[in-house]
Amino acid sequence: MKKLGMVVLLLLATLAIADELGSGAKAPGFSLVNATDGETVTMKPDDGKLKVVVFTCNQCPYAKAFEPRLMEIANRYGHKGVHFYAVNPNDESQFAEESLANMKARATEQDYPFPYLKDAGSKVARAYGARVTPHVFLVDGDGTIRYRGYVDDSAKPAERKTTGLTNALNALTEGREVALTETRAFGCAIKWVPSGTTGS
Amino acid sequence: MRKCARFAALSLSLAALPLLAADLRTVKEPAQIASVFPPEARVRVLNLWAMWCLPCVVEMPDLRAIDDAFGPEVAIAGVSLDDMLPNAKREKTIEFLDRQKIAFPNVYFTGNPDDLGEHLKFDGEIPITIVYDRDGKELWRHTGRLKRDETIARLRETLRRMK
Repeated sequence: MKKLGMVVLLLLATLAIADELGSGAKAPGFSLVNATDGETVTMKPDDGKLKVVVFTCNQCPYAKAFEPRLMEIANRYGHKGVHFYAVNPNDESQFAEESLANMKARATEQDYPFPYLKDAGSKVARAYGARVTPHVFLVDGDGTIRYRGYVDDSAKPAERKTTGLTNALNALTEGREVALTETRAFGCAIKWVPSGTTGS
Repeated sequence: MRKCARFAALSLSLAALPLLAADLRTVKEPAQIASVFPPEARVRVLNLWAMWCLPCVVEMPDLRAIDDAFGPEVAIAGVSLDDMLPNAKREKTIEFLDRQKIAFPNVYFTGNPDDLGEHLKFDGEIPITIVYDRDGKELWRHTGRLKRDETIARLRETLRRMK
């Protein structure tokens, strides 16, 4: 009985750790609809390119505070061959602001330099173990997560002490090891689509 | 008549009371937060929240009800993380707390959020509620929106176990 309890505890511990994919884990691939043009965009983890997957949304003020910063980073590192995927996992049946049409409006209005993808069913967010918006995962060309967590440790440029995402991007584009591979993503809790539904 | 006069005096004194949250203290160092609890509280409930966090806003009336359910042996204190947003205004948080009729103390955190996360060992998702004993030992925590009755029952059980 004691052994069984131990096994259950270990299993629970494993599940808890697997929740939020960390550095070294294999990134799940995905094919999602881009709100901007209705086309399906596929992220293939082992495509040989550096990729940033950022879970974000329309309604979270904290995610919106990072929007200009993410666009700046995407513009800067896009020229170095880094691909960016903004993924919205929020449930539009509870929050109309997260609908495909509203996503398109936001992406167009802000002129996103990356696809803004609808994660209907929150499946991709669940696969990555994302918790909040914004929540960032940096994936290398082999499909391995090399950094995950915040964009920066503060949404206020003057108060930033650590720029997690750009530090990791600089390291990988310069062929160095990432020094800080996991950070604490602050933000709005993801508004999950109940499992087994698409939320629309 | 005397009753009426007494009532009028009470009304006047209530009207003269300062706004409930007007003394919202600004705190920059995470270690300063613990000092917000009154010394007599045996169980100390720390709630991290922000106006930009929808579940935090939704749970505020539940926190008020939880606060009302206990005497001084249980103390709730809030930590507003509104200042994480650029252009945040402390006055807006005060207005919100007043509108919500929150009587328990709150602090307005202006330090680095990551330092706070490290200090409290939480992963960045709010709301989060952490319950401590008088010595600062953590008893339990809950991430996400609290359920009013469930939390009251759990706090009662926590108190009972401490006896």
